[in-house]
Amino acid sequence: MKPYPPKNALKFLRWFCREDYLEEIEGDLTEVFRKNLATSPRLARRKFTWSVIRYFRPEFIKSFKPNYHTYTFAMFHHNLLIAYRNFIRYKSSFFINLIGLSTGLACALFIYLWVNDELQVDKFHTHGDRLYQVKENVEQDGGMITRITTAGPTAEALANEMPEVEYAVTNTFDRIFNEVLSVEDNDIKAEGLYASSDFFKLFSYDLLEGDKNQVLSDKKSIVITEDLATRLFGTTENIVGKTIEWQHKKQYLVSGVLKNIPALSSVKFDFILTFEAFKDDNDWALSWFNTAPQTFVLLKEGSDIELLNKKIAELLRTKTEGKASHRTPFITLYADSYLYGKYENGKQAGGRIEYVRLFSIIAIFIVLIACINFMNLSTARATRRIKEVGMKKAIGARRSSLILQYLSESSAIVLVSLLFAIGLVFLFLPQFNTIVGKHLIVNINSSLILGLVGVVAVTGLVAGSYPALYLSKFSPVIVLKGKRNSLMGEVWARKGLVIFQFSLSIILIVSVWVVYKQIQFVQNQNLGYNKDNILILGSEGKVSEQKETFISEIEQLPGVKAVSSSGHDMTGHNGGTYGIEWPGKNSEDRTEFERMPANYGLIEMLGIEMKEGRTFSRDYYDSASIIFNEAAIKFMGLTDPIGKTVKLWGMQMQIIGVTKDFHFDSFHEKVKPAFFWKAPYTGNIMIKIEAGKEQQVIAQLEKFYHTFNPGFPLEYRFLDTDYQSLYAAEQRVSTLSKYFAGLAIIISCLGLFGLASFTAERRMKEIGIRKVLGSSDFAIVQLLTSDYSKMVIMAIVIALPISYFVAKSWLSNFAFKIDLEWWYFVGAGLSALLIAWFTVGLLTVKASRINPTECLRSE
Amino acid sequence: MKDHSLGEFEELVLLVVAAHHDEAYGVSILESLEEHLKKKVNISAIHVALKRMEDKGFVRSRFGGITEDRGGRRKKFYSITALGKRMLDQQFSLRTILYKQIPKISFS
Repeated sequence: MKPYPPKNALKFLRWFCREDYLEEIEGDLTEVFRKNLATSPRLARRKFTWSVIRYFRPEFIKSFKPNYHTYTFAMFHHNLLIAYRNFIRYKSSFFINLIGLSTGLACALFIYLWVNDELQVDKFHTHGDRLYQVKENVEQDGGMITRITTAGPTAEALANEMPEVEYAVTNTFDRIFNEVLSVEDNDIKAEGLYASSDFFKLFSYDLLEGDKNQVLSDKKSIVITEDLATRLFGTTENIVGKTIEWQHKKQYLVSGVLKNIPALSSVKFDFILTFEAFKDDNDWALSWFNTAPQTFVLLKEGSDIELLNKKIAELLRTKTEGKASHRTPFITLYADSYLYGKYENGKQAGGRIEYVRLFSIIAIFIVLIACINFMNLSTARATRRIKEVGMKKAIGARRSSLILQYLSESSAIVLVSLLFAIGLVFLFLPQFNTIVGKHLIVNINSSLILGLVGVVAVTGLVAGSYPALYLSKFSPVIVLKGKRNSLMGEVWARKGLVIFQFSLSIILIVSVWVVYKQIQFVQNQNLGYNKDNILILGSEGKVSEQKETFISEIEQLPGVKAVSSSGHDMTGHNGGTYGIEWPGKNSEDRTEFERMPANYGLIEMLGIEMKEGRTFSRDYYDSASIIFNEAAIKFMGLTDPIGKTVKLWGMQMQIIGVTKDFHFDSFHEKVKPAFFWKAPYTGNIMIKIEAGKEQQVIAQLEKFYHTFNPGFPLEYRFLDTDYQSLYAAEQRVSTLSKYFAGLAIIISCLGLFGLASFTAERRMKEIGIRKVLGSSDFAIVQLLTSDYSKMVIMAIVIALPISYFVAKSWLSNFAFKIDLEWWYFVGAGLSALLIAWFTVGLLTVKASRINPTECLRSE
Repeated sequence: MKDHSLGEFEELVLLVVAAHHDEAYGVSILESLEEHLKKKVNISAIHVALKRMEDKGFVRSRFGGITEDRGGRRKKFYSITALGKRMLDQQFSLRTILYKQIPKISFS
């Protein structure tokens, strides 16, 4: 056995022991070890190790902290100083980095605010983790569709028959009623919904006054928000028990006052009436076969969702005696419904979460592009700092401290950029809010600050890592000898990064273009009807009682072309039925036809073209007549349909006409079967106005309405604005992506500009010599531009296929879409190339015109 | 240095340091302690005591020459300071006084 003490123990001792004690302790330990060696080597070694362990106590452990602290502080200070000097010395690259990073970070912050807000929507309910929404999968001929509407009695049955359900509530979240509430002469239009009595046990809307267990228990109750209370009564105090007149029809007693609805609630309303009151007016809601209200349940802790889903489906089956087997109810967490609201064929298929993801990715990309600028400029300028690195290494700087230096430099610039970015965010927040249609505010709280620190750290790390690792690698000997040439690897990495930047930019350009084109297409597409200059009024009060009189009065107003009324609003699915029977119908078929109760003249007014037959007319007795659209005729498989009869809810109806297909739903959907029949419930009065006379007609209408229908303020909408709001989400994406793509391009170009100016500067002597030897300006421009052109072309080659797939997958959300034309892609590529040329061109032209004597004079 | 107490083991170590006078170092202290106490002592305990007493100002130390035996490490020699001596004297007189107060007891 060698007379040496155990190595590992010694290593350990040297690692932890205070340096001023180490020599003595090591010496003493070795001496004892040597002595013990004589008796038993094994014992001696064990004893040595044991003793070393015994030294592992506070008195002997070297104090890592104070030394380290002063050292880091000094280095930190030094690094910042060097960074500062570099910024001052190379102003252009500093500003390029600053502008790029601060706009990039501002984008990221905006997106963060938006994403954060989206993720918080409907998450404020106290029992959110147990609050479920009942939805239904409905089998249709074209596949399964998923609806949030349920049968009226569902909630009561669930609460009574399912032990897992603590409370169940019926409400009308998806349909907010716009109705008139009056206190004395004060008539106010307000938005309200109906809810059953346990509503406040499920949903955490706070009550200022009233007991949450009681406020909705009486049929005569109304709960209003403080805002509405102020508008109606001028105060929020002592109004419980007061009377409010509803639609000039019924009296309700205020039973509670709500705090204003939080911005994070996806449902906004001013008042709540009881579902019991709703049932009084709408007896169809008592049936298990009609689905319109929504059902929510609060489950007991630890309930088995799978099992409950089966039980709920079974419940529906027994209640409907198996006659609604095409409907399968199931429950999902209400808090998730906002983000995951889309279903395809009965399966969850994303929803708003897709936009959340999309924008998060865009945010990361934009920051990445800005980081790449930093990386490229830092490595390109490496030659200038390489002597610094060599010098530092020669006097003993370790690689780790050099890495730290570059990282702190990048963090410093990121930090400065962040401050600018925060400024930008505050500056542009109002504009951003209008685009996204939210009321975002910058809430300075710990999580935001933590997030910002995280962003600085991550961005600093990403931006600084490559230069740090790359610059710190050089051997001081080679560097100080001045032998270092640009390595191929370095050049390639830089080129690769530029290509990556431009690829991202091109993908963004293509996406923006495609989104824009699709929206244009949707807006300008022939819908099969004319949506322009049509005013929609709801019918209430005297208007709904004496509709025909009202219509004929309105028709007299100058500027009004035609007036009719419809039970359908022409913008989206209103309601359907499978109660149509035709010869040869499969009795199991539950495909719904869109119901369109119509008044005389509606089809003509909307400009819907007839394929054959006639429209409703006062000259005929049309109460048993029906008009289908082409899609319906095709679906039913009827040939020569005019004059044939079908059954609608058991009544014989004669087909008098077939319309051409028109888009009553958004372009996401195919045109579904629909039918018109002459029905009394046509709540939407539609007024076609001569173009350019809107203001005049509205003013007259206002006057007339006031006398005709006292107590009801006039509220109207334009059909074409309604139509546009079908695509609000796409509009938003289109606007936002336009800005983001623009920024991405600008930031990329900044980087390219920085690189190009650097190369031009570096090659100044070469240019001078070339010129002396007779090269033309143009040849020099070509020489300097060719590199960048190659990179951008490479980027185009990479980006186009990717953008093709991206565009394709986005368009697949639409049933009607534009074709992807080749020139969208070529256009995007060319524009990227042109922008790049423009950026580099200015510089190169300037460089090529330099006087050779100037750049060759000093050596 | 604020603390002027002297623990039992520290006192023993200090006595040995005083006895060896300027030639005391870790291992020599260890050996004479083991000899007198008739039991094994760990070197780390001695170092702890020495460092503490050095902090309190009872001993001072100097480095000696290099010896082969110690793998090229220098010895660190300890010697008692005036304060340390006074401390020992105090302890000694305290014990003597108390000892003398013991009445004659027969333990038969």
